[in-house]
Amino acid sequence: MTTGYHPLVKRLLDGELSLAELPPELRAEGEEALHLVGVADRTPVALSPALEERVMAAVRHHAASRDPVSPGNRAWRWLNTPRDVELRLRVRPWTVWAGALAAAAALALLLGRPAPQPMPGPQARGSTRDSVLVRFVLYAPGAHRVAVAGTFNQWDRGAAPLVPAGRSGVWTTTLALPVGQHQYAFVVDGARWVVDPGAPAVDDGFGRRNSVVAVTAHGAQL
Amino acid sequence: MGVLLGLEGEATDAEVVRAVLAGDVERYAVLVRRYRDRYARYASRMLGSRDVAEDAVQDALVRAFDRLADCREPHKFAGWLFLILRNRCFAEKRRRQRQERPLDSADEMFAAPDRPDGDYEQVERAHALERALQHLTPEQREVFVLKHTEGLAYEEIAGVTGATVASLKMRMHRAYDRLRELMKEHL
Repeated sequence: MTTGYHPLVKRLLDGELSLAELPPELRAEGEEALHLVGVADRTPVALSPALEERVMAAVRHHAASRDPVSPGNRAWRWLNTPRDVELRLRVRPWTVWAGALAAAAALALLLGRPAPQPMPGPQARGSTRDSVLVRFVLYAPGAHRVAVAGTFNQWDRGAAPLVPAGRSGVWTTTLALPVGQHQYAFVVDGARWVVDPGAPAVDDGFGRRNSVVAVTAHGAQL
Repeated sequence: MGVLLGLEGEATDAEVVRAVLAGDVERYAVLVRRYRDRYARYASRMLGSRDVAEDAVQDALVRAFDRLADCREPHKFAGWLFLILRNRCFAEKRRRQRQERPLDSADEMFAAPDRPDGDYEQVERAHALERALQHLTPEQREVFVLKHTEGLAYEEIAGVTGATVASLKMRMHRAYDRLRELMKEHL
């Protein structure tokens, strides 16, 4: 029956000690252990040149079997994709002040009204034929930034920021989502992924959870 | 939305992933070429067979395409693909164990390379080590392969597998003892 290696020999194999640092009585065992791991085959393994074509054939087949994007859907996506636009305006100073006063008055009116109680989970707001407006709500007091990222925006954590509702800690945004099932999560302060407490969640297969919303022509379903 | 890319080598993983998601399916070939051989050695050592490893890499690449919309961080595509391949390797080992078909009994076991110095004993020992690796648990074999074949540090292994350094060391140390037992005739 062979006994296991001495703990110091294991540290030698881990690269934490050198052979010279072992006590003399363990050096023979250390050399034997180095022989054992020294024959590990490190030569590169080349796969068949045909692999790439096989993968691409499967990929093309899978892509073709997915639902084709309708021209209407494509046009909606084009219209809905955020773009940087530079505006140059020539204004008279009094118009700026008048506009600012009007905005302040409107804000005061809005803040004076009791805020509606936000419901957790995404809520459908209205719909066009191919997409539905879905409202996302997260209660995240103390957060500096909140965004929603999901399969509908290629998990781009900067594409859909939520807006804070005053100092209530509630963050909201409304997005036009195409009909279908979408997975998503909130991104708090650009780094922390948070599932929606008001929506069902599924395992993404890699140890994390994604929230799920099913968008139909009649609204969003949890 | 089109993504204009220059030479293939200049496109980052994230750029290619976004182009594919935007509908340019053919761009996926860039990622296939980039990663097909990078993880082949890991899969071969994990599965004990180059042919089975090739199937695993192929499946992982197709599965990654199917789930590309779930790739939250496209700039980390390589690590994401590795996790898919790793899951595939573990699933294959479990399937083989259920069917009681250990890979080391297969005829397709890959051979250790011939040594130019003709050291027959060394070649025999390398063969024995490959066979012995197949008798470790998948977790022990993985940490041995990543450390002693791929040359990763424990911290790097922890980064790709999600395990802690302490648990990786424990697995590795048990693997050393098991390998010593299995290799006693060759030491």
